[in-house]
Amino acid sequence: MAAVPQDLRTQRAWPWLAEFLTGERLAWVFVFKCMLAFYITAWLAMVFQLEQPATAMITVSIVMHPHSGMVLAKSFYRAIGTVAGSLCGLLLMAAFPQQRELFLLSLSLWVGLCAGGAVLYRNFMSYGFVLAGYTAAIVALPAINNPNAVFNSAVTRVSEVMLGIIIAGLVSDIVLPERLREVLRRSSREHFGHFIEFARGSLGGHIPRSEMEQAHLRVVRAAVQLEDLRSTVIFEDPEARARSSRLQLLNLRYMAAATSFQSLHHLINRLQRNHHPRTAGALIKLYAPVGEALSPEPGESAMPRMLATRLEASEAKLPALAAKLRDELRQDPELLLEFDSGTTLLRRFVNELRDFTALEATLRETQGRLQGTVERVDFKRANDYATPLIAVVRTFLTMLTLSVFWLATAWPFGPGALILATVFSGLLATSPTPLAATANTWVGYALGMAAAYIVTFWLLPGSDGFTMLILATTPLLLIGPYLTTRNATLPGVGAGYTLGFVYIFALKNPMEYNPERFINDGIASLFGLMMSGVAFMVIPTLIGTRWLRRRQLQQLRRQVTLAATGPMEGLLYRFESANRDLFQQIVSFTQPKSDESKELLAWALAVHDCGRAVIELRQDMLHADLPPPLLEIMQQAVLALAQLYDEPDAARWQQADRAVDHAITLTTQTLPQARASCQPALAHLLQLRTALRDDESALAPYIVKSPEPSHAP
Amino acid sequence: MPREIALADALVPSILLVYLGCLLVLWVVDTIVGRYGLYRYVWHPSLFRVALFFCLFGAAGLLLYP
Repeated sequence: MAAVPQDLRTQRAWPWLAEFLTGERLAWVFVFKCMLAFYITAWLAMVFQLEQPATAMITVSIVMHPHSGMVLAKSFYRAIGTVAGSLCGLLLMAAFPQQRELFLLSLSLWVGLCAGGAVLYRNFMSYGFVLAGYTAAIVALPAINNPNAVFNSAVTRVSEVMLGIIIAGLVSDIVLPERLREVLRRSSREHFGHFIEFARGSLGGHIPRSEMEQAHLRVVRAAVQLEDLRSTVIFEDPEARARSSRLQLLNLRYMAAATSFQSLHHLINRLQRNHHPRTAGALIKLYAPVGEALSPEPGESAMPRMLATRLEASEAKLPALAAKLRDELRQDPELLLEFDSGTTLLRRFVNELRDFTALEATLRETQGRLQGTVERVDFKRANDYATPLIAVVRTFLTMLTLSVFWLATAWPFGPGALILATVFSGLLATSPTPLAATANTWVGYALGMAAAYIVTFWLLPGSDGFTMLILATTPLLLIGPYLTTRNATLPGVGAGYTLGFVYIFALKNPMEYNPERFINDGIASLFGLMMSGVAFMVIPTLIGTRWLRRRQLQQLRRQVTLAATGPMEGLLYRFESANRDLFQQIVSFTQPKSDESKELLAWALAVHDCGRAVIELRQDMLHADLPPPLLEIMQQAVLALAQLYDEPDAARWQQADRAVDHAITLTTQTLPQARASCQPALAHLLQLRTALRDDESALAPYIVKSPEPSHAP
Repeated sequence: MPREIALADALVPSILLVYLGCLLVLWVVDTIVGRYGLYRYVWHPSLFRVALFFCLFGAAGLLLYP
């Protein structure tokens, strides 16, 4: 009875205590699940009389993860990787049964390629590659002196690994599951709320540039994070799988609306700076009904369905209001042009925002199946091939050096060192600080082995039966999973500890007590781990270096080229997603608020703004009925822009500016004859020109100020 | 059905093939049930899925080893 009030008082008195206890509870649930998975696996492996229950336990230690969706996703790719790796091991053994040099050379090449794949696919798919390399090694290496046994060895290894995968997946899915779906739902709603809030808060019109940049960063993160979560959750939840394509579409609409919103505000900011406050004011007035639609009465909650209907209502008001505001600006044709361009942009934004909220509403209101089909869109990842290539070369050289050392010294424990080097050069290649990670893992590994020594030679010999095995190993083994939950403060130590313990413990039935093998194997695996660390010293990782950032920035700028020349089908989503993925990669390794990160942000915003306008312009060119000479001029302008972003310099800027200006002049001349088809294209051209001449954007250093700014009539 | 099947001259227990077949069936059932949102009526969806798999696999296995 007294416990409850006391508990409440504790919570009130020490809020950190409640937080600490929640964290601890999650950690211990994870530890419990790990131990359960370990012992079920070990027991089943012994019941099935598999040769090395240890392999199954190692698998469990690699696969277990606090979130269940992650385990299933990892298991899926891990299973594929295992099968591919064992097939490759078999093939290599069959091809070079008598040629150990050629065999080790091709094995090193395979492992290197797998490490490269692990770096190329940054999400949990990378595990599949790590394991393809590692399974090939554990299948082939122990059988190297007895090639006839390789098939049996492959079959048992695959059975053991699969057993580990299945048990780990089952345990984390069924026992006290920690659902990623909830995380996805929560963060999706959070991002939605933030975005609406931001769109509403900008009612006054002017947003300082720094705030725009922060908002851009947030949107980028949100889009990439939602995609990561979605691709994981579909393994966990069949319901999410049924809605997967809609979630992708939602993300696309989110990104599209965010880009239009940014473009609109850049336009307003530029107009205000360039002494066109009247136009800017008119646009802000035009925005007012949208802002009102987004701010419901105090009593009502901001449900997406209601927001969508309100937005639709405000959308209907826009043309009339635009016409009225346009009348006030009638004296100055140039202001009118800018205003028209802004109106087009604003209407595009409202349209996209309405689609976005409507889809969000549909997703929230309906459970399970949704009527109809939707357009299929894919989140495109932007990959750079330099980093994976370095990983391939590094791992290949590591494996080759270890193989040569093994062959030259006839070291009986060479295979152990080779296997460990395989695992860790794949696992650690994705880390931005591989040296520190290797050092941490090394320490954890050594500690784990010391613990395993105590258990194997002091506790186990006196015990009998499976219960005693559990009692003897649990206290020291559970340190590993517990440390894994402390990954933020001690990265890599927990994983190293668990792996070191389970690997060297080498559970067997009947158990073998052989201190000589134990110590030799321990030295070999520490040596292998150290070698993969040395390889990171000799061929340092590219992730997070200035050189790679420069390269990625170049790639980011080339996105405009993609927007200008890529095939139109699905171009918008490809552009928006690859852009964000790339930017997320660059920005995650820069110091926030540093000069470099400011420059990157400026470029990202410029690329976004310009690329999107180029895509819209190209859509106009495709669908509207434009006269052929005009089309040609516009195409030239688009290409000139692509060239400018490809390698920005003053000459190219001038060329692009001239081309866009020329296109604007011609379009304005044709406007009276074909208003309907020319109007949107003209709006996008104007948007491109203001973006080009923006002296606060990343292009500012290349702008050539002509003495008399020539404006189109 | 024979208890072992030769796949490319390697003898494979047919129960393995049955297992893979059951996984496929489960996947299909899962997709249908997820599409219509029927998992909302179940207390512990993943436990239900595992139980369903065991029923399928058990039934199919009994055909093999009567």
